[in-house]
Amino acid sequence: MTGRRRVAITGIGLVTPVGNDAASTWRAVCAGTSGAAPIASFDASGFPTRIAAEVKGFDPAVITAPNKLVKYANRSHRFALAAAEEAMRDAAIAPTPGDSERWGCAVGTGMMGVAFGDLAALQRHSAQAGELDAHALLDDDTAADPVAFCRSQSTAGVALLTRRFGIRGYATSVHTACASGGQALGTALKLIRRGAADRVLAGGFDSMVNPVGLAGFCLLSAVSSDNDTPERASRPFDATRNGFVLGEGAGFLVLEEWSSARARGAHVYAELAGDGNSLSSYRITDSPPDGDGPIQSMRAALADAGAHPEDIDYINAHGTSTGMNDRSESAAIRAVFGGDANRVSVSSTKSTMGHLIAAAGAVEIAICALAIERATMPVNANYRVPDPDCDLNLVVGEARRQPVRMTLSNSFGFGGSNSCVALRHPDHVDAP
Amino acid sequence: MTTSRPRAVIAGAGAVCGLGRNPDAMLAAIVAGRSAIGAIGGWDTGDWRVTIAAEITDFNARELVDDRKLHKFIRRTDFFGIYAGDRAAAEAGFDAHRVSLDSAAAATFADRSGCYVGSGGGAFENQYDYLPLLAEAHGELPAFGAKLAETVNPMWLLRTLPNNVLCHVGIRNRLKGSNACITNHSVGGSLAVIEAAEALAQGEADRALAIGHETPIEPQNVLYYDRCGLLAADALRPFDQARSGSVFGEGAGALALETPASLASRGGVARGEVLGGGHVCEAKGLLAIRDDGDGTARAIELALADAGLDRGDVAMIVAHGNGTPQSDASEARAILRVFGTTCPPVTAFKWAIGHLIAAAGIVEATIALAALRAKVVPGIATLTELDPACAGLPVSRETRTVAGDIALVLCRGFAGTDAALVVRALGS
Repeated sequence: MTGRRRVAITGIGLVTPVGNDAASTWRAVCAGTSGAAPIASFDASGFPTRIAAEVKGFDPAVITAPNKLVKYANRSHRFALAAAEEAMRDAAIAPTPGDSERWGCAVGTGMMGVAFGDLAALQRHSAQAGELDAHALLDDDTAADPVAFCRSQSTAGVALLTRRFGIRGYATSVHTACASGGQALGTALKLIRRGAADRVLAGGFDSMVNPVGLAGFCLLSAVSSDNDTPERASRPFDATRNGFVLGEGAGFLVLEEWSSARARGAHVYAELAGDGNSLSSYRITDSPPDGDGPIQSMRAALADAGAHPEDIDYINAHGTSTGMNDRSESAAIRAVFGGDANRVSVSSTKSTMGHLIAAAGAVEIAICALAIERATMPVNANYRVPDPDCDLNLVVGEARRQPVRMTLSNSFGFGGSNSCVALRHPDHVDAP
Repeated sequence: MTTSRPRAVIAGAGAVCGLGRNPDAMLAAIVAGRSAIGAIGGWDTGDWRVTIAAEITDFNARELVDDRKLHKFIRRTDFFGIYAGDRAAAEAGFDAHRVSLDSAAAATFADRSGCYVGSGGGAFENQYDYLPLLAEAHGELPAFGAKLAETVNPMWLLRTLPNNVLCHVGIRNRLKGSNACITNHSVGGSLAVIEAAEALAQGEADRALAIGHETPIEPQNVLYYDRCGLLAADALRPFDQARSGSVFGEGAGALALETPASLASRGGVARGEVLGGGHVCEAKGLLAIRDDGDGTARAIELALADAGLDRGDVAMIVAHGNGTPQSDASEARAILRVFGTTCPPVTAFKWAIGHLIAAAGIVEATIALAALRAKVVPGIATLTELDPACAGLPVSRETRTVAGDIALVLCRGFAGTDAALVVRALGS
């Protein structure tokens, strides 16, 4: 580890279903306030699942970027721009013409480029019988709208962010389903470590709360259909859990090479200390029941951080509230921590925020940084009935106030990509 | 010559595009002046301005992916990505070696094998499965929700995951180590190579596949690119005065990378090396790029520095050369800014294989390696008159000989991104 560049988290910005900034989100995940409710953004009355954790009262006016840029931003890009602005403001630093080449940007992006409105308009004009008619496309306004095209591109988010902040170094978008945000932060960590960048704006953004996105998860029976009790629907690790609650939002962090962050007197939330990344190579949907895959990612994150299970005080679990994930993840934590699993505190903040898909990992890593800074572990809300297959030391009832030396943040995606990111309290870096 | 330590050795390669199903076949066609660009067969383009692309016309599902059970869970682009990845892994002999190990050693081998994929991300056709439902529901959402289960394939979401190739190549080749799915438009495949090589250099894995795949030849996509002024109606003419835009191609490329120590320990054959890479962005927004070639020049300089090489060590440059007026002019400016009057031969392949978007950089890297091995710099058959804006750029219609074994492969994408790879061929 000697001589290796370390990475400091110096800025945080969040737009989530429980708050449109980091402070309000933090209060809600500690208080256990649910962001789930009947879907308000479209008429979901015909769907088997009619609830979601939507971002509420989001005012695009908080984005200070020029309108000519914001018009290229879809709903999730707007969340990204707002969260990134908050993170940059919080870090109190921005690229200058002199160092913009040394700034990078790494984002986890959602899988859905095309806005539902654009798809519906396309169907009305160019697929009236349900099949795309290529000839009809030629005079279809949607197919002639360059703004609709730009918004639909997987690089739209990174393009808007690099333009907005003048970032001219390594800029990338990654997508490994629900692991995207974690993998983006892992990528950013490596960029700074290997010297490809000195500072990176890193995060994730997503919004699948639309008819097509919700439909995709309904078809897989992956989402809870507890339509009458939305606030109780996400209950990770509870024996009665029956699916996740779809969320949306964005989380961004400003990462800096440790010594330069210290030299400028920046406030350091935590060290981004290690990244562990594995493929389950099992089945596209299923998690291995024995935790194989997540076990390797957690062990790799610990090794990468130069840490051992006994150094970890808190795990922000992937904890989706599906039967399979929570069982597999519990087995993985047991396998990695052994007897120490009785000591380490675990919670899933998806119990309050819902599942932010490609944004989840980034938002939850930000929550880990706040947990370290505030010596408080957020609550695993809605936990009532123990599941013997999920025998963990869950933070139940209320948030747990306790010094946090190190945390792990798990994110596991459809397709088998597993991300685990380790964070460390700054005091244990400066005076290890 | 400067000495450099390779980031990774290349133990195998695979590729598929309109010109063939392996890099040597593609090279032979290019050297023969043959292009895969022809009339689009996917839909009736009778009244379209753009009617051409470099399609894969001999698509055969079972020849690409032998597991028939998988066919209904993957898209056309995934077939190509899985094929290229499987070919690279097979040529490297990863699987043959793993099955020779005892179960504990085989498990470690799998855990130390990674996979990095550049993928097209969310494409327009992914949503077309919902068009029949929208038509049936007459746009009414309650009906859309109620008829959902009976109308749409329940596996829709899993079929359209951008990380499908990563998942299935991983399962098929027992790759369980570090991984990424990079959805960064045209530089995706090149970034997969850079990140895979870095993972090996940093000790995260002992071997890794790098793959890029994309199938951009789709009505809505063609129309949008055309209306943004990016496509040519007749031919792709890199750096030519008469160039008028790019032409889509489709396919995939893959490199099997390994650490020198791992390759030696299993007695594998090194077919090349990844010496270095560089990647930057120009911060100009979604489609805009700078006229001065700033991003390309910086990416080249970073890649050379990463490789520990001097400009004089590069024997051949494979330009992005996408045939659009602004990209080619700014790219020529960047190359000449870095290499000056001692620029090695420059060529480009998109005139023959089309623009494969996320697959472009990595497919072109596999062809570059084949060309270095054959000691040729293929000519650009559609080049008639060099654009004065590109004056001094050493491009040619004719095949030239190459005086070395190192190539620089350039790649540019939306969001003003630029990637450069430095590769060396071995075993010519």
